Amino acid sequence: MIEEALPGADVEMVDEGGGDHLRAIVAAPQFEGLSRIDQHRLVKNAVRPRFEDGTIHALSLSTSTPG
Amino acid sequence: MADSQLTEKVQTLIAENPVLLFMKGTPETPRCGFSMRVVGVLDQLGVDYGAVDVLPALQPLREVTSEISDWQTFPQLYVNGELVGGCDIVEEMFDSGELAEMMGAEQPAQAAAPPPPPQGPPGQSPPLQVEN
Repeated sequence: MIEEALPGADVEMVDEGGGDHLRAIVAAPQFEGLSRIDQHRLVKNAVRPRFEDGTIHALSLSTSTPG
Repeated sequence: MADSQLTEKVQTLIAENPVLLFMKGTPETPRCGFSMRVVGVLDQLGVDYGAVDVLPALQPLREVTSEISDWQTFPQLYVNGELVGGCDIVEEMFDSGELAEMMGAEQPAQAAAPPPPPQGPPGQSPPLQVEN
């Protein structure tokens, strides 16, 4: 879902427990020039349906710009 | 549509507290690992902060913060009226020293990697020579 919202992003997902505590490590060119919180907002908005339907309970994020 | 009374209350809290944490549980008894970690960071920095337990009104508060800050998950740390972020961002900024700077607090010694000790010029003789 993240890759759809952020084409060209490199996404790694890690299950941190129970399948609903996830960590996403995202490197995306779209993050260039954005504050950490704006980068996180982009990712969180991309996966919001999964929060709303309860599939994801917690999402830890590590964001960066590629290269 | 977020409850307008609640929205007003939240905005007042954010404005009145230089550091405000919306968390699950209380600083003494956090009810979620992420909230606990943010409390840990704030305690290390030794700053005063207000804490709001979101659990009694979780969904209404999600709606309020969604409108105010476009952010729906907790914990949320506000500094000087602005959302800094959740646990990940707070920890990253704590490690980098940015958080201490933002709050005018002292960066605890063990948080950042200490700079290497300055190297003296090579070939310098020791100041004291003890000969038996």
